[in-house]
Amino acid sequence: MAEIIQIVVLGLALGGVYALMGSGLSLVFGVMRIVNLAHPSLIMGGAYVAYWGFRLYGIDPLIMLPVAAVILAATGVILYKLFFEREARSAKYSEMTVLLTFAVAMILEGGLATAFTNTQRVTSPEYATDAFFIGSVFIPKGQLYAGIVSLVLIGGLALFLKFSRFGYAIRATTQNREAAELLGVNVNFVGLASFAIGVGLAGAAGTLVSFVFSFYPSKHWEWIAVLMSLVVLGGMGSILGTVVASFLLSVIAAFVGYYFGATWSTLTFYIALFVVLLVRPQGLFGEKPELA
Amino acid sequence: MNELLEVRDVVAGYGDGPAILNGASLKVQPGKVHCIIGPNGAGKSTLLKAICGMLKVRQGDVKLRGEDLKGLRPDQVLKKGICFVPQERALFPKMTVRENLRMGGFSLEDKSDLEERIDEIEERFPILKERRDQHAGTMSGGQQQTLSMARTMIIRPDIVMLDEPSLGLAPKIVQEVFDIMHVMAETGITVLIVEQNALMGLKNADWGVVLDLGRTLFEGPADEVLADPRIQELYLGGKKAA
Repeated sequence: MAEIIQIVVLGLALGGVYALMGSGLSLVFGVMRIVNLAHPSLIMGGAYVAYWGFRLYGIDPLIMLPVAAVILAATGVILYKLFFEREARSAKYSEMTVLLTFAVAMILEGGLATAFTNTQRVTSPEYATDAFFIGSVFIPKGQLYAGIVSLVLIGGLALFLKFSRFGYAIRATTQNREAAELLGVNVNFVGLASFAIGVGLAGAAGTLVSFVFSFYPSKHWEWIAVLMSLVVLGGMGSILGTVVASFLLSVIAAFVGYYFGATWSTLTFYIALFVVLLVRPQGLFGEKPELA
Repeated sequence: MNELLEVRDVVAGYGDGPAILNGASLKVQPGKVHCIIGPNGAGKSTLLKAICGMLKVRQGDVKLRGEDLKGLRPDQVLKKGICFVPQERALFPKMTVRENLRMGGFSLEDKSDLEERIDEIEERFPILKERRDQHAGTMSGGQQQTLSMARTMIIRPDIVMLDEPSLGLAPKIVQEVFDIMHVMAETGITVLIVEQNALMGLKNADWGVVLDLGRTLFEGPADEVLADPRIQELYLGGKKAA
């Protein structure tokens, strides 16, 4: 029994970070229909900001979090202005964003590899290797802190979307772009701002990743399938869905990892992606795909 | 005459495509219900989209109280006092009814009395009060249409433009839609409606505008337009047998 509890605890502890990584991706897809394949490489960007602060100045990654979020959000603004704004009215927008963001991911990977080499890195604040014990169950401090910070950020995002004026504008644009525009929403600005928020969240997630996992520039390829499976299982564009999917899959992955080995635990996400697409393509909280 | 809105010889179309409107004109009198009729493809919806800034006006004039609206974005036209309800799906299906109403007031500079304005609308349309916490997408077609029309009243606009509000609704519900339109007119809102069902539309309007092939054929008091033999020609493809 203690074993089971231990596995669930470890799964839940990681679920929060997954949820934060996935929610930025989900937001950007929901509002802009941008399939952002560069999201994980932007997360890597955030991880390297944390690494840079930690190695050079000994700054705690959690303190670097807002710095990384701002730097990455600014990167988001630049990317959006360069690549996405002009194409926003194109009928093939979503398809084109797949190619565009794929290219962005390659460029970021190359840039990070040039700046930091392809060596595995990790930031190692003291808590990253420490743990709490409740009876025989241990909770790694690093994962716990990362999970709590993630949930706070996602909670903040949810409150912002639910209650703020700009949150209304984002939700309205997600659900009916034309109607939002006709009610006075500047949908171009909403697109830009949501993209910046989504990428800023990637930056924030990156600083947490920096002490929960080891990372190197090309690692983002491993993440993309994981994040896609979270967003697809949750329902494309549903942030709540992404959060639920994150906890669900990371607990399942923890069980698979425990009983079949770590290699298989990554496969959980791939298999989930296939199963969802076959059985329930709209995911947990998504709308049924239109048959047109 | 003292026009609220004047559209003169407007040429407009979608993107770089051919012009759909080829000299459409229209005069809107304050406080009246105006109905634009015409056969399929006449450019009725296109005209509304050109007025509200969704489409670029290539030639001609669109003036509200003498002020040029050409080149403004939809959110800017809205701020001038013209609210457009597009055909179908004008709502945010996963927002509640109340949230949809709040979105109606999005463009208000001063939001201090927004909740009171919404309460007022709920009093006028009790079904919206009853369903206030329900997702808009889960309501019936008629209720959704009520919501999208009532929502425009939040900002107390000068003109509301409705693009075929009766589309896809059961005949019994259609009259309700026109009733809401009359409620709007009573509160002083000028209505400009596009209607496929010419007879129904004109019967509920003060002023009729007949559009064909992107131009205004003629306009006049609704009952006169209704009685005009040219209507028969337009809709039945030939002169009515004497």
